[in-house]
Amino acid sequence: MNASNLRRTVVAVGVALVVGGCAAVEPWDRDVLARPDMQIVSDPIEAATDEHIYFSKEASSGGQGFGGGGCGCN
Amino acid sequence: MRLLSSLTLLIVLSTAVPTGEAAPPAGLGPVSGRVIWVDFWASWCVPCRRSFPWLNAMHRQYGPEGLQIIAVNLDKERALADGFLAEIPADFSVLFDPAGKLAKAFVVQAMPSSYLLAADGTVLASHFGFKTADAPEYERAIEDALAAARPKN
Amino acid sequence: MQLKDKAKPAVRQIGTPLAAATCTLLGLGATGSVVAQELPPWDLDTSLLIYSESDGRVRDTSVTARARKEIREEKFLDLTLAIDSLTGASPSGAVPASTVQTFTSPSGNSQYTVGAGAQALDTSFLDTRTALGASWEMPIARLSLLSLGASLSDEYDYTHAGLNARFARDFNNRNTTLSFGLALANDTIDPVGGTPVPLTPMLGVGAGSNKRGGQSKDVTDFLLGVTQVLSRHTIVQLNYSLSQSDGYLSDPYKVLSVVDPVTGSPTAGPAGSGLYRYLFDSRPDAREKQSLYGLVKRDFNGDVLEASYRYMTDDWGVDSHTLELRYRWSFGERYLQPHVRFYQQTAADFYRTVLFDGTPLPVYATADHRLGEFDGLTIGLKYGQATARGGEWSARVEYYTQTGNPSPGAAVGALAGFDLYPDLNAVIAQFSYKFGRR
Repeated sequence: MNASNLRRTVVAVGVALVVGGCAAVEPWDRDVLARPDMQIVSDPIEAATDEHIYFSKEASSGGQGFGGGGCGCN
Repeated sequence: MRLLSSLTLLIVLSTAVPTGEAAPPAGLGPVSGRVIWVDFWASWCVPCRRSFPWLNAMHRQYGPEGLQIIAVNLDKERALADGFLAEIPADFSVLFDPAGKLAKAFVVQAMPSSYLLAADGTVLASHFGFKTADAPEYERAIEDALAAARPKN
Repeated sequence: MQLKDKAKPAVRQIGTPLAAATCTLLGLGATGSVVAQELPPWDLDTSLLIYSESDGRVRDTSVTARARKEIREEKFLDLTLAIDSLTGASPSGAVPASTVQTFTSPSGNSQYTVGAGAQALDTSFLDTRTALGASWEMPIARLSLLSLGASLSDEYDYTHAGLNARFARDFNNRNTTLSFGLALANDTIDPVGGTPVPLTPMLGVGAGSNKRGGQSKDVTDFLLGVTQVLSRHTIVQLNYSLSQSDGYLSDPYKVLSVVDPVTGSPTAGPAGSGLYRYLFDSRPDAREKQSLYGLVKRDFNGDVLEASYRYMTDDWGVDSHTLELRYRWSFGERYLQPHVRFYQQTAADFYRTVLFDGTPLPVYATADHRLGEFDGLTIGLKYGQATARGGEWSARVEYYTQTGNPSPGAAVGALAGFDLYPDLNAVIAQFSYKFGRR
């Protein structure tokens, strides 16, 4: 996969998700998603530790993200 | 019995979502001049935890003037709601809607969501979420609604 | 009123006298309409990490603390502090030889020797690193979130300063989140004894003609992410990230052995130095990395499966695949979480096991195994337990191993008898404690 293919794939999937909307979960049905163990980054210290270790030992780093899911309150 | 009453409320309120629009008269009996605050909440919702002490305060202050607070719990399991209420007791009425029928009828978009209704089911005001900073604004809406509902003579 | 009367049977009055008492105590009595809302106290997470490589290589003991507080309603301040203490030995990049090899330490002040046939490890590796991070997170309108952060770290020879921002916006009744992230960093490396000029030979003690002052690099990271709630139990995320580094990207502590193309034996270094010929690491002064990362998290009746995959490619010729799986197995207030991570990378275009004498020098060359081709495997287990005060403690032990080709094509002559890519084996042990609020 080259760089421009990569970019195109990401944009296509992103647009499909936003426009397609998928099967929506209602705001009052987010009890499971609100749980701490269901967060995208459920253990920030462990995530940072691993990131630091593998960054120091391998040629790759980053890519992991943040945000989304959760309680969806307010 | 619970189902029946929930359904009645559902019929009354099902199209009562946009502010200022009256609910269909079907199902509405004689109006006694009360104002109703419907609050949708769940045990896992953090801002809901903040809203309860304020709702208690509103209940105590405006209850005698005719404000009725109905908190609709949307937990799937009753025990979770009971745990929350043991921690943060509610002075006002709590209704359980595990299937989310009322929430769907109100088109709830956030947790918590609150709707201020006139006795005829008209939605006077609504808001998503709960912010302590906005509480004076919510309270003003209650005062206005009560003032409007007071018999004029 | 009909509405009220009909609703009544479904309504419960709960704990009224108790609540009334509580309200009075908190000053929320019948006359007080203003609720004095107290924000929760600081959340504090701490951790102790021991990372230990076998054969006396790197050992890192690290202490981390993270404090988070809702300073204003829905606005959070996040502070982290990490202190690392590194000791041990790190491979220098030189290959083993049939004779004793002598090296000048990076400072230029001393020398060390490596026995015949032994791995060339630089034992002068010792450092303490202090890292600080701060971020401020706040909602922008109802559906958007903005976070601004800064990071600083300092070690004996290395400083880092960075700024980052991220913005997230919810769509689709909050089932879809689009995120944008930007991070800028400036890192400076200033080794004791100076930074060697790339591809110049290692010199004897006290000779610093090929050393320069501190060097720096700028790193810009950009991230675009989509998070999608698929069901009440499933969430997925897809991120694209782009990272651009410019400046000094070589490793001042790494060298390459220059060997005879037939015998594989080391060749003579600078006249009078008494050293064999070792040339300092040389990398391009720009690197562009791109990665695609996908994550799935799914709840199974209280258990959580987390699977992620990352593909990374860069303009140095490194491609990598990372696959990670975690399964959190819950038993009430406790959980057990096995973890496995598979990693695979190709070598950078300019990766060389050795350089051959008599052959024109390439512009870029590194023998740093981290830019070589290898497979990585991590297997771990974590145990966690909730505390009575609403906190949690957890402990994990993981085993990490890297395996490369011990006998690459460059293993000519005597080199064929040596392990030119020794395995890296490390144990990761971490104990974490999250303070409860109750």
